[in-house]
Amino acid sequence: MKKDKLKIGIYELTGCAGDALLILDCEKELVDIFQAADIQSFLMAKSDNIDGELDVALVEGSVSTEKERKEVLDIRKRAKVVVAIGICSCFGGIQAAFLKENEWEKNFKEVYGKIKMTHTKPLHSKPIDAYIKVDYYLPGCPIDKEQFLSTFNRIIRGNPPELYRFPVCVECKWNENDCLLNKGIPCLGPVTAAGCGAVCINHNLPCVGCWGPLAEANFTSEYHLLKEKGFTDDFIKKKMGNFSGTGIADFLGKIKGAKR
Amino acid sequence: MKKIKIDHLARVEGNGGVIATIDGRAVTDVKFAIYEGPRLVERLTLGKTPEEDVNIVPRICAICTVSHKYAALRAMENALSVNVPPKVSLFRELMHLGEMIESHSLHTYYLALPDYVGFPNAIAMAAQFSLEVKIALEMKEFGNHIMKTAAGRYIHGENPVIGGFGKFPSKDELLWIKSRAIQFMPFVLKTVDLFCGLDYPLVPEEKTMYACCNPEKNQYGFAGEEILLSTGEILSKDDYKKLTNEFVVSHSYAKRSRYKGKPYSVGALARVNNLGERLKGEAGKMYRQYFNRRWKTNPLFNNAAQALEICYAFERIPQIIDKMIKLPDPPLVPYKTKEGKGTGIVEAPRGLLIHSYEIADGLVTYTDIITPTAQNAEDIERYCYIAAQNLLNKGEEGKIRDRMDLVVRAFDPCISCSAHMAQVKKALPESWKEKWAEIREHGSPIFVGVGKSDHSDDGVGLQLALALRKRGINDVWLESELADQDSPWKNGLDRPLVFLDAVDFREEPGKVTLLPFHYILSNTVLSHRLLPFLTSNISYNHLKNSYVLGIQPQTTEEGHKISRPVLQALNKVLKQITN
Repeated sequence: MKKDKLKIGIYELTGCAGDALLILDCEKELVDIFQAADIQSFLMAKSDNIDGELDVALVEGSVSTEKERKEVLDIRKRAKVVVAIGICSCFGGIQAAFLKENEWEKNFKEVYGKIKMTHTKPLHSKPIDAYIKVDYYLPGCPIDKEQFLSTFNRIIRGNPPELYRFPVCVECKWNENDCLLNKGIPCLGPVTAAGCGAVCINHNLPCVGCWGPLAEANFTSEYHLLKEKGFTDDFIKKKMGNFSGTGIADFLGKIKGAKR
Repeated sequence: MKKIKIDHLARVEGNGGVIATIDGRAVTDVKFAIYEGPRLVERLTLGKTPEEDVNIVPRICAICTVSHKYAALRAMENALSVNVPPKVSLFRELMHLGEMIESHSLHTYYLALPDYVGFPNAIAMAAQFSLEVKIALEMKEFGNHIMKTAAGRYIHGENPVIGGFGKFPSKDELLWIKSRAIQFMPFVLKTVDLFCGLDYPLVPEEKTMYACCNPEKNQYGFAGEEILLSTGEILSKDDYKKLTNEFVVSHSYAKRSRYKGKPYSVGALARVNNLGERLKGEAGKMYRQYFNRRWKTNPLFNNAAQALEICYAFERIPQIIDKMIKLPDPPLVPYKTKEGKGTGIVEAPRGLLIHSYEIADGLVTYTDIITPTAQNAEDIERYCYIAAQNLLNKGEEGKIRDRMDLVVRAFDPCISCSAHMAQVKKALPESWKEKWAEIREHGSPIFVGVGKSDHSDDGVGLQLALALRKRGINDVWLESELADQDSPWKNGLDRPLVFLDAVDFREEPGKVTLLPFHYILSNTVLSHRLLPFLTSNISYNHLKNSYVLGIQPQTTEEGHKISRPVLQALNKVLKQITN
C-alpha cells in the first residue's frame, strides 16, 4: 500500500544559513530528497512555500528576535515532530555566548547605540528549546551531510533518528590519529558530540567543540586534564563555551573542583 | 540623526527584503531591510585568542565562510607579524577560488538566470535548459570540492590556520583539480557568452562609485593590501574607515556604509569595472569583446561580471597548482607576539570584506568586520528607488516588483536565496500623516517655506511657513531668508529638515505628498529649480534626513490668490504639524 509522503518544512532562524546550505550541497541526493518527502517550505531552495500542518519541521538557527520567537511557537503548533538542526538551534550557537547577567544588553547597546528598531524587537539569542519542546537534536556547525541524510532517511520512514552517543574521540581513534591532548594541545574531542568524522584532528588540528557538548561527557575530567597541562580556568571555560552558547552553562556549572 | 560610533555588526545574510511605497505618482519610500536577528559577532570575539577568533568569525556566513576565514587570517597575521611561505599563499588563493566558483555558479545559473529566461526557479528551468542546469551543478560541486580539499569540509572547515595549514593535499589530489579545471573550459566559455550576452533591461541606469581590493603587481585577483576606487583613488587597507564609515538605520540590523557621504558598490561588477583591463587569457579576450559603458551604470551587469570571473578562476587554478606542486609542504609558522594591530582585506564573491583586529596580552581587544552587503545596502536602496520611479513614470507600475527583485538579486546579497523579496505597497489615502509621525521620531523638524508668492498656488509653501511662525513654531525659514545665511541649520544637523512647497505630481489639486528630499533630486519629472542652491548647502548626511512636503497646485499662473483645494490642504497640514 502506498503511503502519503510526509509533509516536511525546513526553517531558518538566526544563524549563518549553513545547515540549509549543507542540505543544498547534497547535490547528488537533492532530487531524491525532494521526491521522497513533500517539502512544504524551504526558503533557500524554493519560492512556493506553504505554512500549513506538518509532519516534521527541521529548524536551523537560534531565536534572537521577537518575530522569531513567534515563528518558532507557530512551527511547534503546526508540526508533529520538531528537529533542531545545527548548533545554533540545538545549543544557541556562537551568538548565545553572553552568559553573564546583562552582558548581552550591554553589548547590544554598544553596537547599535540608542536607535529604536522599527521592525522587530531584538532578544538575547537562545536555542529553540528555550521556547518550545524539541523532539530530536541534530548538532553540527554545520550539520554533517552523512549524518543528515541518515537522520532524514529514518524520519521520512517514521522512525526516530539514531544519533551518535559518543564523543569525537571515538571517530578520531577509528581514523588512527595521534592524540593531541597527549602532546599538550587543548583538544575538546573527549567532551564534544561525534558526527564530523574528527575532521579537525584528521588535519592535525585540535577539536574546537563546534558539535556542542555530548550529554554523557565527563567535563570534570577534561577540565582537570587541561589544568594539568597548564591551561587556566578562564581559558578552559572560554574554549568550552565558544560554540555552544547558553547550552553549555549547565555543563560548566557541574564541573567538580572548578572555580565558581 | 544622532551620530553613533559604529564598530560592530550583525550578519547580513539570511532574511531580508525591500519594500517600496507608492503614493499616487511618486515613490515615497524604499527600504532595504535585513530581518535577520542581531548576533553581535564582533563583540563575541573580544577576550578570545587569535586562534579562537579565526574559528568563530567564519560562522558569520556559510556562503562566504572561506572569505571570512581568509580575511581573518590575513588580519591576524598582519597583527602578529606572521609571514607565511609562498605555498601557503598559493593554497589560500586556491581555496578562495573554490568559493568564488561555487558562489558565482550558484548565483548566475540558479538565482539569476531563471528571471531572464522566464522561469520561477531553477528546477522549473531544468526542463528547457537541462545542460545549463547540469553544468552549473557540476561547477558548484567542483568549487565545493576545492573548498573541502583546502579547508577540510564544504562549510566552516578549520584546516586554514594562523601560520599556514594543518595539512596539505597530495600531489595527486592537486593534479586532479588541475585537470578537472582544464576540462571545464569549454563550458566556462559558454557561460561567459551566455551571461554577457543576456538582454539586460535599461532600468535602472545611474552612476555610482566602485570599490575593490587592489591586487599586487597589477594583476586581477581577490586580495590585496590596498583598496582601489573607480575614481582612481587608492587607500591603504589600514585607512579602510575612510571608505566605510559604518552607520545604523532603524529598519535593519545590518549596518551601512558611504564614502565621503556617498553610496558606493562592491562585488564582481566593481572588480571588473576597476580591474578588467588587467584580465589576460580567455577572460581578457571575453572582457574586450563584451565590456561596454553600460557596465559602469547598470547593476544588472553584475551577473555578466560574475561569469567573467568564473572564467578567470578556471584559468588561474592550473597556474596555481603548477607552482604548488614544485614546493615542499611548509610547517606552521610559529609566532610569539602577543600584541599588535592588523587589518586584512579580501574580495568575498559579493565584494570587499574587511577584518580588523587589535590584540593585547594574547587576546583580542578590538574587532571590526565590514561585510559587502553592508556596503552595498545604500546602493541597493538607491537603485531600487530609481527603478521604481522610472517604471512608474513610464506607466509600468506592474513591472516594479519584479524589477526590484532583479536589482536586489544582481547585487548578490546572500539573502538572494529567498525567492521573492520585493514588495510594492500602495500608500493609503493621507499616508503623509503616518510618514510625518515617523519623521517626528527623528527629532523636532526645521521648516523651510519654498515658492513664489506671485505665482498663485506656488506661494503655498511660503504661506504655510508664515502660518507656522504665527502659531509660535520655532526654526521656520523662508527661502528668501536663506540666501543671507552661511549655514542656517548649523545647530540642527541632527534634526529633520522639511521643505514646504507646491510640487506638481500631476495629481488632484490639494493632494499632500511627503517624501525624502533626495528622491526629488533623482526624479526627472519632479526636478526643481531650487535644488542647486539648496543641495550645495546641505551635507549628504543631512540630505538623507530631509523631506519635502509637497502640495499639488491647481495653477501656478501669475497672481496672488491661492486656490480653494490648495488652501484646504494648507489648513490640514497646519493642523497636523501644530497638533
